[in-house]
Amino acid sequence: MNDEHDHDHDHDHEHEHEHDHDHDHDGGAGRRMPRRDPRAPRGRVLDAHLHLLDRQVLDREGVPVTTVDDLELDGIEPGARIEPGSPPPTLTAILTGPQLLTRLFGGHAPAARRIAIPWKLVSAVGTTVRLGVDADSLDASWVERWVSRHLIGRIPGGRHDPE
Amino acid sequence: MKNLFAVALGVLTAIGGFVDIGDLVTNAVVGSRFGLGLAWVVLVGVVGICIYAQMSGRVAAVSGRATFEIIRERLGPRAGLANLAASFLINLLTVTAEVGGVALALQLATSVDPGWWIPVAAFGVWIVIWRARFELLENVTGLLGLTLIVFAVALFMLSPDWGELAGQALQPGPPADEPVATYWFYAVALFGAAMTPYEVFFFSSGAIEEKWTEKDLAKSRLNVLVGFPLGGLLSIAIAGCAAVVLLPAAIDVTSLSQVVLPVAEAGGKIALSFVIVGILAATFGAALETTLSSGYTLAQYFGWSWGKFRKPAKAARFHLSMIVCLLIAVAILATGVDPILVTEYSVVFSAVALPLTYLPILIIANDREYMGDRVNGRGMNFVGQVYLVIILAAALAAIPLLIITGAGA
Repeated sequence: MNDEHDHDHDHDHEHEHEHDHDHDHDGGAGRRMPRRDPRAPRGRVLDAHLHLLDRQVLDREGVPVTTVDDLELDGIEPGARIEPGSPPPTLTAILTGPQLLTRLFGGHAPAARRIAIPWKLVSAVGTTVRLGVDADSLDASWVERWVSRHLIGRIPGGRHDPE
Repeated sequence: MKNLFAVALGVLTAIGGFVDIGDLVTNAVVGSRFGLGLAWVVLVGVVGICIYAQMSGRVAAVSGRATFEIIRERLGPRAGLANLAASFLINLLTVTAEVGGVALALQLATSVDPGWWIPVAAFGVWIVIWRARFELLENVTGLLGLTLIVFAVALFMLSPDWGELAGQALQPGPPADEPVATYWFYAVALFGAAMTPYEVFFFSSGAIEEKWTEKDLAKSRLNVLVGFPLGGLLSIAIAGCAAVVLLPAAIDVTSLSQVVLPVAEAGGKIALSFVIVGILAATFGAALETTLSSGYTLAQYFGWSWGKFRKPAKAARFHLSMIVCLLIAVAILATGVDPILVTEYSVVFSAVALPLTYLPILIIANDREYMGDRVNGRGMNFVGQVYLVIILAAALAAIPLLIITGAGA
């Protein structure tokens, strides 16, 4: 999956996408979920802690972008009581960068310093989180681009394939 | 025919790649003090590294995920970071030891002070990582490292008393004139030298670099199961040479020239030149592997783009971190610290850090989300857990033994 030149990847992720909706999360071949609780959400159930946090995020070409350092939820106030019957919160973004520090040491990162990858860019969730866009189009990869442009790319041979 | 060649190449590379500066120094030191009395530790270590490498290779090939991605996923950011810090620092110590080893080997060849060779060695390591393909660097250093077989040849040429050597090997236990703690200290050091964590970062990340799939697993199993034990035999031959020449003369090993002394005595200049090429290749290869491992561990924890199969500009932070690591290694060596001493500490601390990476791999090798039906079988889990106990015991004993024995003095 790490192959940048994987010609099959489009097909591959289409397939993964279907797979997400059709089957239960242990990936049993073609096995349908047993009868659901009618209140339960449709589709695959992900545990944010287990299946999303700290997973590798790959771009459309399979290039690593970042790790899921934190998640942004909408419709929920930290610390506030959740009234029964209130609508469920929605996952709006994958957070990265300074967000790792707040998970390591606690506290809040100022909203302006947050680096977010909107959740709508996510195309598939497996053992990695796949995005439907190129890494270079994201704010989340600015450090990589900066180091590449100003340091590594300037060293002779830095833009060539290894021989 | 082509397949046979590929298999042979893999096995030969594994033999040559098994020995690094840690094995060279520790085996010679141990041989000069205990004869073959600690050869059993090499056997235990070789079986351990076979299990560990095989398991991490299988996890990488089946799940496509490398060691530190998995460690972070499983342990979360905090415990993952503590693990990264410990593994990374010990790996950095090993990078320093290997670069120092390359400089010492060049000193043996040229008699020029190693201080001059240190920057040359580090630059050489960097330029190869920067420009050479993964397979090329692995095969060339592995094959040249095979010349270390001269240690085994030398052992025969010294025509030792085989009965006495076998006696040492078959009756393990501290000799009368050495404290028990020292014996066990060197046992842990030798275990750490055989089962160094970088071998696994390198092996599992290398599996992804070379785009292994499940089909490649049989080949990898053969490389590991044949190559590493033969590499272990080389280790024992190094200890055997020291046991025959250095032990009776009561020579303490404090430099590489003492490590190669028995070979020179047995085979003269020709043997000596072979052994120098072998040490140079082995330390240079290990310097490449450890430097890459430092980049692999950081990139995998933070989710950066990594890999030698990409252009450096497409894995910029990965390459930058390796450059910084090499500069730090040069800076440490520039203080004039003895690379042999750095090596001795690096193998002991390797034993300390080993459970940190071994346990997550063992857990993932049993996780069906990653492994599907290729999870560990019962036999593998049994052996894996026996080794978990051994590895934990060695890790817990290492630092107390280091303090009690004054680093084996």
